[in-house]
Formats: sequence, C-alpha cells, structure tokens
Amino acid sequence: MKIRVLLIILASLISSVSIAEVPEFTIEIRDHLFFPSTLVVPANTKVKLIVVNKDPTPEEFESYELNREKVIMGGAKAVIFIGPLKPGDYPFFGEFNPKTAQGVIRAQQ
Amino acid sequence: MVDAILLILREVLEASLVITMLMVMSRKFSIALNWIIPALIFGVFSSWLLAHFAYDIADALEGTGQEWTNALLYLWVIIAFMLIAAIIASLLFRVPDRVKHITLNGGSIKSHRNLLVLSSIFAVGLSLAREVAEIWVYLGGFLHQPDLLQPALTGGVIGLGIGMSLGVIIYYILVFSSVRGFLRILFIFLTFLCGGLSMQIAKQLLQIGFLDSAGPLWDTSNIVNEHSWLGELLYALIGYDSTPSAVQVIFYCSAVIPLLLIVLWNWHSGNRRHV
Repeated sequence: MKIRVLLIILASLISSVSIAEVPEFTIEIRDHLFFPSTLVVPANTKVKLIVVNKDPTPEEFESYELNREKVIMGGAKAVIFIGPLKPGDYPFFGEFNPKTAQGVIRAQQ
Repeated sequence: MVDAILLILREVLEASLVITMLMVMSRKFSIALNWIIPALIFGVFSSWLLAHFAYDIADALEGTGQEWTNALLYLWVIIAFMLIAAIIASLLFRVPDRVKHITLNGGSIKSHRNLLVLSSIFAVGLSLAREVAEIWVYLGGFLHQPDLLQPALTGGVIGLGIGMSLGVIIYYILVFSSVRGFLRILFIFLTFLCGGLSMQIAKQLLQIGFLDSAGPLWDTSNIVNEHSWLGELLYALIGYDSTPSAVQVIFYCSAVIPLLLIVLWNWHSGNRRHV
C-alpha cells in the first residue's frame, strides 16, 4: 500500500516536471563570440538555454555567477538549465576564448 | 598563451594536490611509490578516451551524457577517497607521536595497505580522466588554428610545470612532518574534497534540469571571488563555491557527515581502549 502511494506521488512529480513549461532561449557561438551577448530571461523562472557552437573549435560555456560549466564541441549544441534567477546580471564567458567570448544573462521581472 | 597557462593550471591544480597528498601518504606508510605509474597511465588513457568520444558522450542520453559521465566520475573518486579516509581514520588516534614513518604489516592492516594502493590508483586515474580530457579537447581545438597551436602548447607546458612545482613544494613540506600530523591534514583534505566533489555532482544534475533548486543559499563572491587566485585555490582544496544552492549544500553535507561520524567513532573507540 505504502509503495503504491509512493509510486503515485513519484509519477505525479515526474509528470508535473515534464508538463511544466520551461522557456527556451538560444545563444550562438560564432568566431569565438556569443550572440546575443546580452540575453534577457524572465526572473524567478527556470530557463532552458540552448548553446549552439557554430565554430569548428570547442568552447566551454562557463559562469561563476550562474554556477554552470559545460564543454560544447565544435559544430555541436548543448542544453543548460539555469535559474530560477533573482533579477540582475549574470556574466558568462567561454573558458577557451575568455578574451572575446563574453556575455551576460539579464534576469528581468 | 596566458589563457592556456591559466586554463591548464586550473585543470591540473586539483589533480596535482591529490597526487601529492597520496604520494606523501605512501611514504608515511612505507608503501613503494610505483603505484603512481599505473595511476598516471590509467588517467591519461581514460582522459584520451573521454576526449576522443566527446561528441558521442555529449549527445548521449538526450544531450545529458557529459553531465552524467562527470557525475559518475565524481562519484567513483568520492568512493575511493572515502575508503582511504576510513582507513586512515582508524589510525588517526593509534599512531604514536613524532613517528615519521610506519609500516602497514600483518593481518587486516596488510589488506588495508592493498586497498589504499588500489583506491589511490582509482582516485588519481579518475581525477586525471576528467581534468585532462578537457585539456585534450582544448588543445584539439587548436588543430583548426595551426598558428595558435605552438603558443597554446607552450602555455600548456608552463601551466603543467607550475601545477607540478606546487605539488613538489607541498610534497617536501609534508613529507618531513610526523605521521600523526600528516594523517590529520590528509583526513581534513579528503573530507573537504569529498564534500566539494559531491557538490559538483549536484551541480551536474542541476545543469541538466534533473534536480531543481531555488536561488543560492548565500553569496560570498564579495569576500572571495571564484575568479581570484584564492578562489581557485579554495575550489581545488575544499570545493569552494561562492553561490551554492540548497541542493549543493545537502550533497556537500551528505559526503562530509559520514566521514565526520567515522572519525568520531574511531576517537570514541580509541578513548575506550585507553580506559
């Protein structure tokens, strides 16, 4: 009985997660630059970030403020979930090309 | 070139500290240092495999393969460190003062010796696997930019050299300490490291949306910024994160608390023996 109740709770949690709408945003990497370099996302909301690397070389999306770090191979794309974020600016950079690959996620109400 | 130095130094710093501490541990227990050779071969080979199959790994499991692989590697390293910590915890209160070396011979202690060597090989090999794979990927990118390859390689060698030099300095500082003193330092180091690695597992699972979290519990970036040298060093030593989420803190505690309980239990048993 207890197991059945647990399974029902678990199933409802999974379905609520899959049904929940997560807004998607795309960032492209071209010539070791992020486009757009400033991305506005809703504050206090979990967000799905799709990072498309159009360069032939790999890049590492990194942000201390967002607490995220992911290698994106050349010509590949990656999905990174961020947030919910309080309103404010959250810088990110490409660890392999930190001088040029710079950007900001701006969380707005 | 400076970018390459900093990136490779960041990647090798933690591995260098781990290798140093485990090599000093071997010296303290009179264990031959030759286990480092299979550990390095294992680490470099597995890192090459991870880099070679980076596209396939990244695409696996609906694009979450990289995070799951990292999380698994972190988990295995934590298990290896926990085994080492549990063994040395049993010696923390039994080793006499001022002794510079001890020998793990006889009965169960001898099996501990084999477990220590095996765990060290796994810990070093798997720590290197993840860190060095990123270096392969980074340097591999310069094959498309041949004019930048040489400065990147030079920077890489300098970064590696600095990381190794730091390891050598720490080795010679610690190798002359007493066994008891060193074991205390090693236990604290392993405890923080396990906590930090466990927090990294949470970070991987948050990144792929497998776990949810509210905002960070605190923000100490004004005190110690993760970009700074101190932040980098603290990250390597204790898994420092200036803005951890609640889930990360729970993961940190779940690795640290069992180790604290183990040391408390050994302290309590040691006291009972004396009574």
